Amino acid sequence: MIYLLSDTWFVAWRELLKFFRARVRLVVSLIQPVVWLAFMGNMMRGLTSNPVTAKALGTENYLAFMTPGIILMTVLFGGVFGGVSIVWDRRIGYLEKLLAAPISRGAIPFGKMLAAMIQGAIQVVAIIIIASLLGVRFQTGPAGIALIVLIAMLFSTILSGLSLALSASIKTMETLMAIVNFVTLPLMFTSNALFPLAAMPPWLAAIAKVNPVSYAVGPIRALTLTGWNWEVILPGLGVILGLALLALLVAQYIFQRATTE
Amino acid sequence: MPSAIEVYNLTKIYRGGVLAVDDISFTVERGEIFGFLGPNGAGKSTTIKVLIGLLKPTKGRLLINGVDIAKRPGEIKRATGYAAQETAIDDRLTCMENIYLQGRFYHLSKREILARSAEVLKMFDLYDRRNDLTATFSGGMLKRLDIAEALIHRPQILFLDEPTLGLDVQTRKTIWEYIKRLREEQGMTIFLTTHYMEEADVLCDRVAIIDRGKIKALDRPEALKAQIGGDIVIARFSALDGSIPQEALEAIRGLPQVRGIEPKRDGAYWIVVNQDGDKLIPAIFSICGQAGVSIESISLKKPSLDDVYLHFTGREMREEEASAEAHIRARIMRGRIRRR
Ligand SMILES: Nc1ncnc2c1ncn2[C@@H]1O[C@H](COP(=O)(O)OP(=O)(O)O)[C@@H](O)[C@H]1O
Ligand SMILES: [Mg+2]
Repeated sequence: MIYLLSDTWFVAWRELLKFFRARVRLVVSLIQPVVWLAFMGNMMRGLTSNPVTAKALGTENYLAFMTPGIILMTVLFGGVFGGVSIVWDRRIGYLEKLLAAPISRGAIPFGKMLAAMIQGAIQVVAIIIIASLLGVRFQTGPAGIALIVLIAMLFSTILSGLSLALSASIKTMETLMAIVNFVTLPLMFTSNALFPLAAMPPWLAAIAKVNPVSYAVGPIRALTLTGWNWEVILPGLGVILGLALLALLVAQYIFQRATTE
Repeated sequence: MPSAIEVYNLTKIYRGGVLAVDDISFTVERGEIFGFLGPNGAGKSTTIKVLIGLLKPTKGRLLINGVDIAKRPGEIKRATGYAAQETAIDDRLTCMENIYLQGRFYHLSKREILARSAEVLKMFDLYDRRNDLTATFSGGMLKRLDIAEALIHRPQILFLDEPTLGLDVQTRKTIWEYIKRLREEQGMTIFLTTHYMEEADVLCDRVAIIDRGKIKALDRPEALKAQIGGDIVIARFSALDGSIPQEALEAIRGLPQVRGIEPKRDGAYWIVVNQDGDKLIPAIFSICGQAGVSIESISLKKPSLDDVYLHFTGREMREEEASAEAHIRARIMRGRIRRR
């Protein structure tokens, strides 16, 4: 058990070492949300200046409305990287090296997920700082921000679990990326991450209501815009926590199966 | 003390139905350098992967240090080191980071790793480059680092899958030196696979020739060579009248240690001998002297493992590696077997 923890940590440590070493990637991953926020925020200013839409958004600051969406989008792409790194490790033979070592098998998928989670948390904190600088007020203060980061980390686990499960049967990076994009982008755009439910046509709103991304958006948006609104926070948190645990187990199970011959 | 490796009736069939290893048995003693020699697809890598617990055997019993690997896989992994055929180094990490992680995955403490990595990196002449990104390393350096990593937890048995594959001759020789030193200085048991004849010949105490999943022969390299007999004496004759020296050839063929004679297109005769071809040369001289045949030239070829390989598998190792004489020898040997 103690080995499972330390093995998981060192699998993750390797990813984090590379994450911080790849300076360009690091900078881009921090600039990207700024661009999103600045660009979208400006483009959508028309929406918030209209009192009707402002009501649908729940705020007069579209940036504040959108920040949860940007947080989840960033975490989503980071989470997907978990599966990509396994495909890469298989290609360079590193996966076999890990499997030949006396580490707990679960430590490999768990470590990848942990790395994605930590990277995600770092990016989320950066986004929150940038959003604050751009004038977004987080209604629930530091405690709420901590909870936002936690939800984002759980959300990252869902995505990394999904991509790890896929990577067990998909051996090329290009195919994996294509499939992941095929799944994640629609997932993002059929949620309420970027547009309010009230502004959607009914069919889209119906999809958005059951979309797991919306369950993550709900609590984060409440914490950002309205405050400790437990009726929204608890169900969202519950669903996301449940899905994260499920992803963890599924990824571990599929990985186990794919690496036993 | 139990043997280092004992394999009884190992069979491995992959999920797709490929029979990669077909009912092989062998034993490797402690402190031995043992080689698996065979062409691509023979089942060498598969055998290693089963032995270190990466693959499950379809059938068979495998003991490492007398312990059944199915019963205590964790213990086996700590007692063995493995450098895969494909060098697996993360090129975005430094040399030290790579080996540090390897140590951590074998559950060593930071202090143990630092002490031990300094030792193995010095041994493999990588210590000065320890803080460099491995993306800057040459193929030979990567292979050395890979082997060094396999030693970080002080294994008793080291598995090297084609340790010199794709390296140039010079680098290959330095790797051989490292392998020999490991055995000499630490008494390590080494199981290696190769498809280079020379490597098996120079490095291994005993060699198993494996082809299509089966062990065709297993012995010391010299014994294998002796087993196919076969020194070859290459002679050119010139009879006084320019004709073929039939009589002399018959007389030579009649000598007890001669197995056969093969005329070559270039006019030379290849005389295949059981052993001690050098002792045959005086006899050839005296026969030719009596028959009035003069000898233009005469030379002696000792068998190589190429010939052994060809003999036991009926196939060449690789087109460009098998020599012409290996063909002849194999043809005569096969002929001999058929005649019996
Ligand atoms: N993962 C695998 N799945 C199915 N067949 C495999 C796999 N790995 C190797 N093989 C097959 O098993 C046979 C032996 O392969 P291998 O052990 O790699 O040979 P060698 O190392 O001697 O070149 C080959 O026919 C190869 O195609
Ligand atoms: Mg091989």
